[in-house]
Amino acid sequence: MADENVEKSEETAGAGEAQAEAAAAEESVVATANPEPESGEPGAEGAPEGESPAAEPAAQEAPARMIQPDIKFVREVMGSGGNDLKKCFQCASCSVVCNVTPDDHPFPRKEMMWAQWGLKEKLIANPDIWLCHQCNDCTAQCPRDAKPGRVMQAVAKMSIPSLSKPGFLAKGVGSPTALLLMTAIPVIILALVIGVLGGGSFTPEREVLGGVEQIVYNNFMKTIAIDIVFSTFFILGILVLALGVRNYWGMMKAHADREGIRLKTGGLAQVGPVLSEIITHKRFGKCDETKDRKTSHLFIFYSFGLLFAATAVSVLYTYGPLLWGGEGTHSPFPTIHPVKFFGYTGAAAGVIGIGLITINRFKHQQKTGMGSYFDWLLIVLVIVLMFTGIGSAAFRKLDIGVLAYPTYFVHLVAVLFLFMYAPFSKMAHMVYRGTAMAFARAAGRDTPM
Amino acid sequence: MADKVLIIGGGMSGITSAVEAAEAGLETVIVERNPYLGGRVSQLYKYFPKLCPPYCGLEINFRRIKQNPKISFYTQAEVQSVSGSEGDFTAAVQVNPRYVTEKCTNCGECAEACPSERPNDFNFNMDTTKAVYLPHDLAYPMRYVLDRAACGSGCQACADACGYGAIDLEMQTRTVEINASSIVMATGWNPYDASRIENINFATIPNVITNVMMERLAAPNGPTKGKIIRPSDGKEVKSIAFAQCAGSRDENNLPYCSSICCMASLKQATYLRDTAEDSTAEIFYIDLRAPGKYEDFLRKLEEDENVTMTKGKVAAIEEDAATGDPVVTVEDILGGGKIKKQFDMVVLASGMEPAAKSASIPVDAAYEANGFVDAENLPPGIFAAGVSRRPDDVATSVQDATGAALRSVQSSAKTPAVAGEKAGGN
Repeated sequence: MADENVEKSEETAGAGEAQAEAAAAEESVVATANPEPESGEPGAEGAPEGESPAAEPAAQEAPARMIQPDIKFVREVMGSGGNDLKKCFQCASCSVVCNVTPDDHPFPRKEMMWAQWGLKEKLIANPDIWLCHQCNDCTAQCPRDAKPGRVMQAVAKMSIPSLSKPGFLAKGVGSPTALLLMTAIPVIILALVIGVLGGGSFTPEREVLGGVEQIVYNNFMKTIAIDIVFSTFFILGILVLALGVRNYWGMMKAHADREGIRLKTGGLAQVGPVLSEIITHKRFGKCDETKDRKTSHLFIFYSFGLLFAATAVSVLYTYGPLLWGGEGTHSPFPTIHPVKFFGYTGAAAGVIGIGLITINRFKHQQKTGMGSYFDWLLIVLVIVLMFTGIGSAAFRKLDIGVLAYPTYFVHLVAVLFLFMYAPFSKMAHMVYRGTAMAFARAAGRDTPM
Repeated sequence: MADKVLIIGGGMSGITSAVEAAEAGLETVIVERNPYLGGRVSQLYKYFPKLCPPYCGLEINFRRIKQNPKISFYTQAEVQSVSGSEGDFTAAVQVNPRYVTEKCTNCGECAEACPSERPNDFNFNMDTTKAVYLPHDLAYPMRYVLDRAACGSGCQACADACGYGAIDLEMQTRTVEINASSIVMATGWNPYDASRIENINFATIPNVITNVMMERLAAPNGPTKGKIIRPSDGKEVKSIAFAQCAGSRDENNLPYCSSICCMASLKQATYLRDTAEDSTAEIFYIDLRAPGKYEDFLRKLEEDENVTMTKGKVAAIEEDAATGDPVVTVEDILGGGKIKKQFDMVVLASGMEPAAKSASIPVDAAYEANGFVDAENLPPGIFAAGVSRRPDDVATSVQDATGAALRSVQSSAKTPAVAGEKAGGN
């Protein structure tokens, strides 16, 4: 806290009092200013916050609990977009203007206090950090310009290493300095597959198909190689996310147990309602400042859905017939084909979606900020994905090999990047937000829609 | 050259500086923009913490002014320009016409006859006066004033009705020149414009009022003769929510704390509690500021079962269409939930905005970021008093204004020309 603005020192002191008062009501607290936490991630494994016997109170009131502030965590939050965190003086305007918070122990006021205090375990073993939809109504209305929306996002991002294992991958994805290395990995994998393992050729020959000599990507990288590589990482991603969901649920459950909160239903019972909420984006529509995000996000959401369908259908046409001894259709698929239909509509939705998302970011820049590296990594990735995808198809049709193959390669790298790092990047929000929504519903603390 | 102190602003601070400096032997002249002296204090119903009427203290000060020939003042006057330096300032002061002369006896015949009305700014436009009006019961100078902008064209009903020939419709704006050895800026404050606070809907919900309006509502000489009733339907008010820090400590509005609104709301809670045994007040706060001796006042209110203090800022107010009741949304921080609560009326504890900021006083003064006079960095011979330099309560402002008076005395003592003149004069 040595970097506290001197001018604000008076108010910081005031905020401290307010927080102490607030916390005193929530639980009896003995705060210890521990300069460096003993373990790097206290409570990350769901351990109770240092319940030291020394903290036993003499008084017979509520039992005192020792707070172990994780200063490193506070600094990390401040370094990940939450740099104005310390300006918060707990007025709770944010919780009032938030349209997506439950009324019972609403966010993000309490998260601001926990983040200031470095109570990492309380923050990440809680559904609220992911229930936040980043409307940033709180940020726009914050009287202190403490930007609670950005703090919520920074904490959500920082919870990923505790959920998706191995955690160092999440840290790598979240760190701009590691971008080159993180990009090099899929590049090398694909180069190896194409050049060394005999999947294809970097200078493939054109092939006569349907009487026309044309570019055939199958000669650049074999479809079967693509399918094996990408399926492997796709399945790995799903496994990591599945374990992450289990981790997250376990952490939330353990925390809820300690707080004396009992779940009303199991998690599976909430899958249906949560999915129905996700496909309609109901909650997104409740944002005030950034209302337009619902539309752009819907486009990109369904774009991904359509593109996934295109992939699934192409797999079906490629391998399906083999099951009954027939011959599979090979890429390139004819222009009029279900695969193409899903591909084209998915690409169109994707371009519109990511275009709107980018425009919205600039439009709301003044009131809600531009967003973090973490956001932009995904936005830029999707832009690259969409444009290289369309470019690959276009250059192939136009028969410009010198552009077609590099574009296609970049496209493959982008897709692999997306798949490999999905559990560690912003893509993970899809799963962890869903998990948080299910947990909140199960715990009976969800907002009535 | 005159051994004179020019005091800009005739509120409690300006009056205090004028009286104190004059009683120390200097000539003082007050330039006041309103048609009366006393400023914001004259609009208050009671002082905290003693709950005594401010009129009492004002009356004492007016008497000190009347008795002291060294004090003069101009009302409806504004400083147009200031030149010179310490020991020898020259100020041009524009004095706007009152249209009512010293012959006025306050009989009120003119107002009886007057056909036009104007919004009563003294009561924050909660009622109206005639175009010719007495600013308030204890206006000093005790004389009617005519608002020509509110007159019908060619109307001279008031002049015709006046039995004393006190109305001079031909009165002109004039400019007077004042020589002064020093200047005290006592320009005071304006209530913050609450309609600028988002989500509070002050402009559209009639039963959401500000704390200064509440003073007028409770004052016996106010628009309701002291009855606390609702602006929308005149219903007797039984429950009030006080929204602390309404637009204060807020980067989107006033970034600073006005320091008095907590005590003002606590005081106003007693206004309501005095009306009925079953009346209830709820004070929504971020932090309650009742320093020093004021803490006893807070404790006393905390003991009242019908006064609740809830930690959490009122960040949104809506109107219940059926009843006209304002509904506040708050996170009850200590209670653990986001709540909506309905009240008869909401009083916004909105803060003080420095008046000099908007009035562009032609003094070569330094201002800090929020528009208050930066008293530490003023040129020699120019001093600041009261809220012009810092949001404060009346008692502190009076002390501050006494300090400013002392500085002007010191200033004139160290100016050789003035000292010589004084020696000769004696």
